[in-house]
Amino acid sequence: MLTINNLYAGYGKVEVLHGISLEVPKGKVVTLIGSNGAGKTTTMRAICGMIKPKSGDVSLHGENVAGLDSHRIARAGLAHSPEGRRVFSTMSVRDNLTLGAFPRLTGARPKGDIKADLERSLELFPRLKERQEQLAGTLSGGEQQMLAMARALMMNPDVILLDEPSMGLAPILVEEVFRIIQQLKADGITMLLVEQFAAAALNVADYGYVMENGRISVHGAPDKLKNDPAVNEAYLGGVNKH
Amino acid sequence: MIAVAGIAALALFPILIPNPYYIHLAETILIYAILLFGLDIVVGYTGEVSLGHAGLFGIGSYTAGVLFFKMGVPFALAVPASIAVAAIFGALLALPALRVTGPYLAMVTLAFGTIIGILINEMTFLTEGPLGIKVPKPSFFAHKLNEVEYFYLVAVLMVLALIVVNRLLKSHFGRAFQALRASPVACDCMGVSVYRYKVFAFVFSAGLAGLAGSLYTYSEEYISPNTYNFELTILFLLAVIMGGRKTRSGPLVGAAIVVMLPSLLSDIELFRQIAYTAAAIGMVASLWLLAKKRKTIREVAVPLGATVAMAVFSYKLENIIDWRLTIFGLMTLFVVYYLQDGIIGFLRGLIDKIWPNALRKHDEYREKADEALAWEKADYLINASGDLLHANQVLMQFGGLKALNQVDLKIVKGTIHGLIGPNGSGKSTMMNVLTGIYKPTAGAVEFNGEVISNLTPSTIALGGIARTFQNVQLFGEMTATENVLVGLHHTFKSNVLDVMLNTKRYQAEEHHARIRAASILQFVGLADMANDEARNLPYGKQRLLEIGRALGLSPRLLLLDEPAAGLTAPDIKELVAIIRKIREHGITLILIEHHMDVVMSISDIVTVLDFGQKIAEGKPADIQSNRKVIEAYLGGDAGSEGHIKSPAMTPNPA
Repeated sequence: MLTINNLYAGYGKVEVLHGISLEVPKGKVVTLIGSNGAGKTTTMRAICGMIKPKSGDVSLHGENVAGLDSHRIARAGLAHSPEGRRVFSTMSVRDNLTLGAFPRLTGARPKGDIKADLERSLELFPRLKERQEQLAGTLSGGEQQMLAMARALMMNPDVILLDEPSMGLAPILVEEVFRIIQQLKADGITMLLVEQFAAAALNVADYGYVMENGRISVHGAPDKLKNDPAVNEAYLGGVNKH
Repeated sequence: MIAVAGIAALALFPILIPNPYYIHLAETILIYAILLFGLDIVVGYTGEVSLGHAGLFGIGSYTAGVLFFKMGVPFALAVPASIAVAAIFGALLALPALRVTGPYLAMVTLAFGTIIGILINEMTFLTEGPLGIKVPKPSFFAHKLNEVEYFYLVAVLMVLALIVVNRLLKSHFGRAFQALRASPVACDCMGVSVYRYKVFAFVFSAGLAGLAGSLYTYSEEYISPNTYNFELTILFLLAVIMGGRKTRSGPLVGAAIVVMLPSLLSDIELFRQIAYTAAAIGMVASLWLLAKKRKTIREVAVPLGATVAMAVFSYKLENIIDWRLTIFGLMTLFVVYYLQDGIIGFLRGLIDKIWPNALRKHDEYREKADEALAWEKADYLINASGDLLHANQVLMQFGGLKALNQVDLKIVKGTIHGLIGPNGSGKSTMMNVLTGIYKPTAGAVEFNGEVISNLTPSTIALGGIARTFQNVQLFGEMTATENVLVGLHHTFKSNVLDVMLNTKRYQAEEHHARIRAASILQFVGLADMANDEARNLPYGKQRLLEIGRALGLSPRLLLLDEPAAGLTAPDIKELVAIIRKIREHGITLILIEHHMDVVMSISDIVTVLDFGQKIAEGKPADIQSNRKVIEAYLGGDAGSEGHIKSPAMTPNPA
């Protein structure tokens, strides 16, 4: 579904990614783990067009989208739930979600039943349902994080990039977010996941890549990574007892 | 070296080019440059657009003019008077700047400039109205200066203004200006009063406009109201932006361009040649970029088309005067679109590309850094007991919503106090009440026995409460070192005069502050990134830098708002070690965090909020087994150890 081949990208003259290759097959959940500053968020941004890759391919169902503007990539079927709570703060929760479906309203994406999907998103995030008429800017940080995720889903994307969906959430909500990811996985949604809780991400994922200084150092099935002593020590903090 | 060359060029100019027309032109450039140094303080540093500087320039001109015309006041008194009067008007202009920012403030300054223009025209009893005022060149001891001598006088004053402005902007004042632009909230919470420094920036900027205005009066020997119009204010702004913000060379280049532009534009042949050259350069550069595959055809089409169109236009053009404003407009458009950092900024970018380390600041302080120097010697901090902070029945109401509903909070000296609760339970609101950003609707906060809930954030910060922010609030365009130096702002006792004269006291303070900043950066593990701009640091490092900046305040109480959010497991370990060390130095901490392994392992006491109310308080172990807390916050079944540690690490149920 989403294939990245030899991707180089960075900010200004600083190159952050030195040739990343990874694959997200249809209907699978793939996770990207690594320490802070390894380049996970940069990879996400280069895929969705927020920054232009220097070279390399990003292909979405076989079509190269590298270097396109992010709204074009979105219309091609890739949704991005960004790190750090980027919601439309002066609009209501419901309007934020409706706007997520914008490409469907303009005919860039298959229309489907937007109303039903909106209700489904609200069912998926009961917290948002309670506050659907509230302005997004008045939500707490954690709720904004959930709204960003729900909004990305409203596009009915082929692939969804989740950048730190559990950041700043209370433990009870972290559980909930992972329950939701599990649910989406069961619905057959393709996901690329970056998470601070690396162990939890590996639990939900079908495949994992480990990033180190802008390169992929190890990749494999979650069980293999969890049992790799180096990975366990460096990224799972040595606390994973499974 | 550049400075020596510059002074030599100024000294030799009238000798090499004795033509009075060109000497007068150069004099005007120098006078404009003085004003632009001041305008750059407002535009480049505090980030506000002022359309009122032509008005301030006019006030300076007319103060000198009227004083001479009505009372025969000599140059040596008229110039300081102009500076003072303009500065007073600058303070007036700053008042709205404290309430509105951005485009709204630009509108206010525009209105100010327009009103000044009209007043000069209408107050004929003082200004002679449209007739204008004639003023001869200044005389000293019965010797009337000639054109060349006056040029030297202006040159000396320009160099002095440059030195003073440069010193000011490189000092803690300049850092305060930049900080209040980047994040007013964080600026206040570092004990740097946004209110004070914004007024100061406007007053200083206006004073320079006044100086420039008075010099302009003597230079032209005749002033009339229609000089100080909207076109001039736009020219000033264009000069700062085109030359390059936040530099001293930028205003000089900008002044030269806007002064010479009208003369260039009045000579149609010259204008044609420039347009042809520009088109040729554009063509060659585009072809080269295309050949090297650095740009696509689409990207070069617009600039190439524009330069070629300009050349064709200049060929067809017969009367250039009518088109002058259009050409200014197009130039502004070009600069704003393609040269956002101005000519100087663009050149710096080029130099940076060719010699990557040429402009890098020295790490001379790095060797002197020592973690022990990061802490202020403060014995009172250690072995203290009793309550440091007491929030008494705090009620915080937003409309109908009670974000905090009569919460009591006592923080014991020397402890790490965890503050947890579901998202939206009022934790961050509590932080904002404690640091003075919100005034509580009812109730009071006592710190060290004194009520602080009626004080401003900067006073509270100086009193010893420092904080970090949930959404990182660093000063993005400033380096890591400069961010910490803003936190150390309170260590400077030097005033403006100390900075201007570069006194021993100021030098010593700057030196100590830089050593301490390097030490603090070493302590939080950012020594390698001391010269990096804060916005370019990875997220996790930004959080550590916020802690470092807060430590600069030498706080007695440090509030950390979700320091571990977005950090991976190894970074969290590092963070916990840092927090422990901070406590060992006698600093009391309040810790808001969702990572239970962090909170439960290092907190002495934990308070739990839910819907703005305190639902539990006690030792970590008690909190973990508290039914209410599990239900509202921790989730899952009874809090078994492994579960709490990382709820998200439960095995995959599927």
